[in-house]
Amino acid sequence: MSSIAQMISNLEDENVVAEVQKQLDSGVNPLDIFKECQAGMVEVGNKFSCGEYFVSDLMMAGAIFKEVGDLITPYLKGQGGASAGKVVVGTVFGDIHDIGKDLVVAMLSAANFEVIDVGVDAKPEAFINALKENPDATVLGLSCLLTTCYDSLKETIDAVTEAGLREKVKIMIGGGPVDQGVVEYSGADRFGRDAQDAVTVCKELMGS
Amino acid sequence: MMTNKVFDVRLKKVFDTINFENTKVTNCYMGQAVPPTYMDITLHDYIFQTDKGLDAFIEFVQGIGEKAELDCINFAYPALHNVPLSLIWWSKVKMPGRELGENDLWQVAEKKVMQDEDYDLLLTKGYDALASKILPQVIKMEEVGAFVKYHMENDDLVAQRYIDAGYPVLNSGLACPPFETLCGARSMSQFFMDCYKIPDKVEASLDIMLEVILNGIKNDPVPEYVIGKWVGGWRGASALIAPKIWDRLVWPYMYKIAMALIDRNVTPIFHLDQNWDRDIERLLELPAKKCILNTDGMTDLRNARKKLGEHMAFLGDVPSQLLATGSPEKVSDYVKKLLDDIGEKGVFIAAGCDAPANSKYENLIALHKTAAEY
Repeated sequence: MSSIAQMISNLEDENVVAEVQKQLDSGVNPLDIFKECQAGMVEVGNKFSCGEYFVSDLMMAGAIFKEVGDLITPYLKGQGGASAGKVVVGTVFGDIHDIGKDLVVAMLSAANFEVIDVGVDAKPEAFINALKENPDATVLGLSCLLTTCYDSLKETIDAVTEAGLREKVKIMIGGGPVDQGVVEYSGADRFGRDAQDAVTVCKELMGS
Repeated sequence: MMTNKVFDVRLKKVFDTINFENTKVTNCYMGQAVPPTYMDITLHDYIFQTDKGLDAFIEFVQGIGEKAELDCINFAYPALHNVPLSLIWWSKVKMPGRELGENDLWQVAEKKVMQDEDYDLLLTKGYDALASKILPQVIKMEEVGAFVKYHMENDDLVAQRYIDAGYPVLNSGLACPPFETLCGARSMSQFFMDCYKIPDKVEASLDIMLEVILNGIKNDPVPEYVIGKWVGGWRGASALIAPKIWDRLVWPYMYKIAMALIDRNVTPIFHLDQNWDRDIERLLELPAKKCILNTDGMTDLRNARKKLGEHMAFLGDVPSQLLATGSPEKVSDYVKKLLDDIGEKGVFIAAGCDAPANSKYENLIALHKTAAEY
């Protein structure tokens, strides 16, 4: 593993920012640097999956990744690696919680997915409009922290079906009180146990 | 307080359960927001019209109790509930009939209200200086005043109502670890970053806040009807926090709060959301048979029983999603399997965390009937 990837996986925030800046200044290809950052995030995900890291570590890694991403972006000048796929994500209507959803967005972005975030308390129309505006999105991720919003999950998925989009997208759901029973209740395809699991589920739903 | 035979028998069972001397599982109601779903009152009126709300809560619990004998209540009627939530989490709370629909469940609108420099305000000017800057941003102070007035005028009367209804109430208040309060004030993402980047400052801040909490516990009167108080664990869950942070910034504070409550003869009820498996053995540091572990279905109680033995009673843990989307058969199976595995001694069976407002009524009955007939 490169030094940048290593630093990210060790959550060395100040060191990694300094190293990225140093490499950018010395003319290293920004796309290569970005790929190293992604490799570091993959390692963070692995550590989370095997119980070495916890949610706070994921959040710290996500913040570091965002910080170095902001550093690198101006240097990319339109260069970009191939996206792993496009995902529409949001928290369903009636639920204003954003922390879990934001963490999923960070982890998906780090895994090279292009993420369209429709925000929180999002009505079914918001998801449908985003899917229509992004016909290449093949996964829809719905976040729900309130048990009282199970119906909102279901209504969103029903609305996607009524809009004729259900065949084109797989739907994953997530949030504290979401389990297989809620998948069955709402008509979703899968659920993610946590932000890292969302990445795994998303890859599986895209068949990659 | 004037007690009665039914209440006295149940109260004895509560203490027997804490001491692992109960012969049958203790059946405990938990569901603050459920009554309006099945009664002729909106969630807004239930919360803010306190006389009607209390009547509705007691009537609802009695209705459940007629179908499946209940022994006690965990968290009682949540009068003016936005106030305590704002006070413990230093966050705005959106309420039914105000920012939300009449029957929509309250939600914590978490936002960074405590700025970076406010740590220094706390460290140099003290707790009151910070609290008086933050609290007006998240709650109208006249609401806090009304909440305090309500409790000063009504606590004894309300306690008598539960006694008359025959139900001991386990929890008589919240002792919130300072980690949770700062987390709400800073917002979770920012606060977790603080724990990595400025742990010394966070620790010094928590120490100041803890001192205030401990003084409160030491000096507040403890009425005779008080059995226990919640020691809340939400964002401090083992599944969320890296061990080096948890060991330094979460557990020592929970421990000290619990010990202070025990000193006042109040039972600490560790109300722990999320998964605490990694650190469950740390509860052995507390004195035996003095606390209750109250979990939500995410902490493995079978593992906890193995690790803790008869060190502390368990309260929980039927998951909220099962109560909302499952069937009575599934709920009943869950309760039976749990009791088969962890036994009846030292166990209060209840909805985990809090039965959600959309719990199916038949599922609540199944929960408590299965426990009563086990």
